[in-house]
Amino acid sequence: MYELFFKSLNEKIALTKEEEEIIKSYLTPKKLRKKQYLLQAGDVCKAIAFVEKGTLRAYSTDEKGNEHIIQFALEGWTISDLYSFITGEPAQYHIDALEDSEIVLITKSAQDEILKRVPKYETYTRMQLTGAYMAMQRRLTSIISLPVEERYIQFISIYPDIAQRVPQHMIASYMGLKPETLSRIRKKIASK
Amino acid sequence: MQTKQTVSIIGSTGNMGSAIARSLAKGNYRLLLLSGPNNTADSLADEIKSLNPGAEVESIDCCYNASWEADIIILAIPFGEEFAMAEKIREVANQKIVISIANPLNGTYDGLSTSPDTSAAEQLQKLLPNSKVVKAFNTSFSTNFNQPVLAGKQTDAFIAGDDEEALNLVSDLVETTGFNPLIAGPLSMSRTLEGMQLLLVQLNIKNEYNWQAGWKILHN
Repeated sequence: MYELFFKSLNEKIALTKEEEEIIKSYLTPKKLRKKQYLLQAGDVCKAIAFVEKGTLRAYSTDEKGNEHIIQFALEGWTISDLYSFITGEPAQYHIDALEDSEIVLITKSAQDEILKRVPKYETYTRMQLTGAYMAMQRRLTSIISLPVEERYIQFISIYPDIAQRVPQHMIASYMGLKPETLSRIRKKIASK
Repeated sequence: MQTKQTVSIIGSTGNMGSAIARSLAKGNYRLLLLSGPNNTADSLADEIKSLNPGAEVESIDCCYNASWEADIIILAIPFGEEFAMAEKIREVANQKIVISIANPLNGTYDGLSTSPDTSAAEQLQKLLPNSKVVKAFNTSFSTNFNQPVLAGKQTDAFIAGDDEEALNLVSDLVETTGFNPLIAGPLSMSRTLEGMQLLLVQLNIKNEYNWQAGWKILHN
C-alpha cells in the first residue's frame, strides 16, 4: 500500500522505523477507478497524490471543452494542483485516473504535522519540488524552442513508459498538438 | 464541492443504512453499498439507480476495498459489531472520516451499555486512532429519512467530532439527506447525543409516536 512511497523517501532520506510509522499515521490510502476524478477544477486541491499503482493525469479544459494535459503521473510520481495546494485557492486543473489506480494522499495538514515531527521530510519535499521544477524547465524549453518532430523524439526517449501506456490522443494533448498532427509526425519518424 | 466524494456505507442493507443510502443518492456522492454476510446490496443499488438515474451507486462485497476506495465511511452497523469491523478496515480508513451512527442501547432499551464517561463514538475513535470519527445520524430514526419534516419543522441532526474539516464535510452530507445539520461539539459530546436517542426511543415506545418523532432545537 505504501511500498513505493517509502522506497522513494528512503532513496532520498534514510528513515528509521519509528519515523516511517509516524509518517504512515498521517497518510491517506485511496483507490481510484479508471476515469474517476481525484480533483475537479474549481475545488481546492487538498492533497498531493503519490502514485503507488496506475496512472493519473492533470489537465485543464478550455472554453470549447478541449483538454490540455499538463502532466501524467505513473508509479512513483506525485501529482497535484500545486498552486491550489499551497495557496488554498480553487484549482485550475482536473486530475483523474487513466487506469484503476492506488494512490497515497498527503493533505496539507498531514504534511505540516509530518514536517514538525520528522524534520528531514523537508529535504524530501525540497528534492521533489526541485526535480519537478527542473522537469518543467526542460518541458518549457522543448515547447518553445524545438521542432515538433524532435520534441516527440525527446518525449519518447525520456518517458518511454508513458508513451507505451497512455493513448496517443492524450500524448498529443500533452504536446499541444492535434491528434492528426501527432499521427503524421509518428508516421514520418517511422518511415525514416 | 464539484469533485464527487466516495461514500462507503457498511451495513447498507439495514434500516438505517438503506435509508441513508437512498437519501444520499440525491447528492453529489458516489456510493458504495456494502452487502451484509447474508444479503446482497445489489437490489438496493438497482432500486436507487431506477429512482435516481444519475446516481453513481454500486454494491460491493468487501469492506476492506470499500473503505480503501472511500473518502467517507459510514458504519451503519450495530454498536456490538463496530469492534470487529474497525479491525478489518483500520489500515485503509487511515486519516479518513468514519461516521458512527450507533447507539449503544442495552437489550431492554432502557439504558446504555457504555459507561457514562465514554460513548460508542469515542470507543470507535480509540479503535481507529488515525481516522476522523464523527458522530452523526444517531438522533434520527430510519423512518425520518422519508420525512425529515415533523410537525411542520425540519428536524435537526446533531453532529459531533474533533476535526473541523471533517465536521463541515459531514454537515454537508447530513444536509443532503434533508435534515438540518447542527454541530453539537467535540466527539465527547456523543455521550449526550447517544443519551438523547435513548430518551427518544423510550418516549417513542411510551407515547406511541410510531417512530415519527425527532429532535428540534427551538430558538429565536
